[in-house]
Amino acid sequence: MSDETLPRAAAPPRRRAAVPVGVMMAMAWLALILAVALLADAIRPFGITAMDLRARLQPPIGFGGTSWAHALGTDELGRDVLSRLIESIRISLLIAFGATIIAAVFGTTMGFLAAHFRGWVEQVVLMLIDFQASMPFLILALSVLAFLGNSLPLFVCLMGLYGWERHARIARGLAIAANAQGYAAAVRHLGAGPLRIYLGHVLPNIASTLIVAATLSFPEVVLLESGLSFLGLGVQPPMTSLGNMVGYGREYITRAPWIMLCPSAVIVLTTLSVSILGDWLRDRLDPTLT
Amino acid sequence: MLRFAALRLGRALLTIALVVTFAFIVLRLSGDPAMMIMSPDAPPEALKAFREAWGLDEPLWLQYLKYFTAILQGELGQSMRDGRPAIELVAERIPATLLLTLPALALKIGLGIPAGIYAALHRNSMTDRVVMTFAVAGFTVPSFVLGLILVLIFAVQLGWLPSGGQEGWRSVILPVISMGLGGAGVLARFTRSAMLEVLGQPYIRTASAKGVPWGAVVRGHALPNAAIPTVTVVGFMVGSLMAGAVVVESVFSWPGVGRLMVVAVANRDLAVVQCVLLLVSATMVTSNLIVDLLYGVLDPRLRGQAPAAGGGH
Amino acid sequence: MTLLSLDGVSRVYATRRGIIGRPVPVRAVDQISLSVAPGRTLGIVGESGCGKSTTGRVALGIERPSEGSVTFQGAAMPTPGTPAWRRMRGRLQLVPQDPLGAMDRRLTIATQVEEPLIIHAIGDKSDRRDRVQALLRDVGLRADLAERHPHELSGGQRQRAVLARALATDPALLVCDEPVSALDVSIQAQVINMLTDLQEARGIAMLFISHDLKVVRQVSHEVAVMYLGRIVEHGDPEAIFADPLHPYSRALVSAIPVPGPRRIERVVLTGDPPNPADRPSGCAFHPRCPVAVAACAVTTPDLRPAADGRLVACHLVPAAGGTA
Repeated sequence: MSDETLPRAAAPPRRRAAVPVGVMMAMAWLALILAVALLADAIRPFGITAMDLRARLQPPIGFGGTSWAHALGTDELGRDVLSRLIESIRISLLIAFGATIIAAVFGTTMGFLAAHFRGWVEQVVLMLIDFQASMPFLILALSVLAFLGNSLPLFVCLMGLYGWERHARIARGLAIAANAQGYAAAVRHLGAGPLRIYLGHVLPNIASTLIVAATLSFPEVVLLESGLSFLGLGVQPPMTSLGNMVGYGREYITRAPWIMLCPSAVIVLTTLSVSILGDWLRDRLDPTLT
Repeated sequence: MLRFAALRLGRALLTIALVVTFAFIVLRLSGDPAMMIMSPDAPPEALKAFREAWGLDEPLWLQYLKYFTAILQGELGQSMRDGRPAIELVAERIPATLLLTLPALALKIGLGIPAGIYAALHRNSMTDRVVMTFAVAGFTVPSFVLGLILVLIFAVQLGWLPSGGQEGWRSVILPVISMGLGGAGVLARFTRSAMLEVLGQPYIRTASAKGVPWGAVVRGHALPNAAIPTVTVVGFMVGSLMAGAVVVESVFSWPGVGRLMVVAVANRDLAVVQCVLLLVSATMVTSNLIVDLLYGVLDPRLRGQAPAAGGGH
Repeated sequence: MTLLSLDGVSRVYATRRGIIGRPVPVRAVDQISLSVAPGRTLGIVGESGCGKSTTGRVALGIERPSEGSVTFQGAAMPTPGTPAWRRMRGRLQLVPQDPLGAMDRRLTIATQVEEPLIIHAIGDKSDRRDRVQALLRDVGLRADLAERHPHELSGGQRQRAVLARALATDPALLVCDEPVSALDVSIQAQVINMLTDLQEARGIAMLFISHDLKVVRQVSHEVAVMYLGRIVEHGDPEAIFADPLHPYSRALVSAIPVPGPRRIERVVLTGDPPNPADRPSGCAFHPRCPVAVAACAVTTPDLRPAADGRLVACHLVPAAGGTA
């Protein structure tokens, strides 16, 4: 895996070689996770709130468990851990995707606004970028949650504020470069309006860079969401997310560590896979990005 | 240099002002600030006094101004839980937090920077691969997962260390490791790439080709230049001394600022939340300011340019 | 009758020296007046940094002059970015030096040539397709190249594609900024011939900017020689070529290789190349001028008519009907 973590500047010229094994495995894991999230309702053996009080705290198969009905064991209310895990994956991915898309759209818009208007608009955007980058996001997020309470849409939007400044910086830089000389200036000189220039020409040309940037911030959003949910301040019961499950399973760490270990493993494998994929994409598509 | 420093100081103050404005706006969005800051079941005369004191019946810009001056004078409201001034509650938690975050910072720097330098100097060796694998693991494993796994191994299974609470120095070990390892990984990765970038520069090859011993090249040219970007990341870590322990303090039930914040958020104890927010931003801004000034000293070329803020990696 | 006229136009940029330094105003273009008649070509020639590209951008209306005014078809140039300005883009077009940079590398040639038609809402879909085909034919591009991407074309083909795009809206004026200097000499000649043919067929006026006096002479009806943001000589290209009056023009003309014995003695310029941020006093050319006299360092010569109706800015050239 050290291949994927080579720093950008020192990376040797890339051969158009086969996809490294690590990246293949990361892709396979992400495909699996995506399939689980999309098919959650179909493949989930039990409802996430279905309790079976006679089968409480059953260990998973391989750890002394015997029941294939509960392959990953049950929690202290006899709820099936696998079913809850499947649902958690769906919710966590939904939030992470939603937030990443919001961040990309918002950040790119801000970057384009800065590049188009320059002057004070650009100064305000730059100030906001500086502000965002210099404040611990977790604390800002906690404050908003404290002031405004919690709901899933608000939570997704809040997570969507994470990482927008990265997109804004990239979009602004590339749009200014394009405006100064080159294709965007040429289209402008043909008489095109700003919408045609930015959406029709600049955006498609910088999309690959923005996608790489989104891939880099996606795992961070997963970690942030799971952290907040772990603290009990993110996704609220009866809904469940990976972080919720860990936070909840921590109460039973001595008697039933699997409740906590299963979602932890999913979080780690997912963030690891997206990071590997993101680094690989960055090295291939845009080595100038940090 | 003086102009540069003044510019940076202005920017730092502006950031603080932005945080206060942010708090004001969010507070306004949330409903009646009197209720929020004072507590919903405060006596009506107290609410009235509060509204008058902060001029909630006046135009918005005047309210904003008063809010601002009140905060400048340290009037941060009372906790709705026990009615004590929020600032006192927060202040008494600071030592506990520093007891975790300072050793964790030492661990990050002490482990991360040497590992990164070593990996860069022995690029593609076995050690490099191991270090980088750990580094990637360091930031893909969330601190609460690492913390719980450490608890599972060292407290539950082996029984060597306590799983939480404050029982002397032994209680500090697990939280510090949970916090420090991830940061060490990030720092190692960053230091390595900064070093590799510098090592690839022509002046390093020139110095080496002139016959300067490799050790001297590394010490005299590579390290000082690689230090410049690394300082930003370290600065960000120093800035997070107050904020970095939110999750880990909760894992280990550690009575620090982070735990206070989480409880305050859960109870919507807004005065405390606002106070922590200001404390954290003041720390962050101060450390950013110091980093910026250090940048100016380390690299005169950068004076007047904005160094990349250390948010991402 | 004039199509485009620049009247006392200056363009001043503020540059900083160092980070702490105060902004220094740099006059990239200084008090230039010129005009282009419909269907005619004005060539602008000078070294890099002499302000000729800036003059082109001001003439196009992409940049606003700091002083003076630009008039196109009898009306003042609208402010860049306004709807009026955008509508006017169809009437003035740029042919750039670097056609690859001026094209969107993701889109096919046909799409890009069609784009100005879409922007200015000309014709319906099938009509536009016909127009694109006709345009590509006019600039000598094979029909099968229409579906190619810019990087799949040769340099000359790219220049033709950009020209086709510029011609799509049937402009009255083309500003050609070093349109052939990146091309091989053989291709240069083809593109130049095509430009003059198109000009004849369509009656387009051109502002032809180049550092190459030889190329400018081939296409221009009139030539302006620029030095450090000012016009130093302005007139008929053949006259300037045969008998350059300004010492700088003389140096430029003498640098052109000719077969057989030279009619003009080779003038080799010495001294520093011109730097607009550090403009010499008096006549900006005097530090490099082989014939400079004391007055040259003190007073800036005005552009005034010389013997054959040419305009020259030099103290040593006698004004028409006057004394030097």
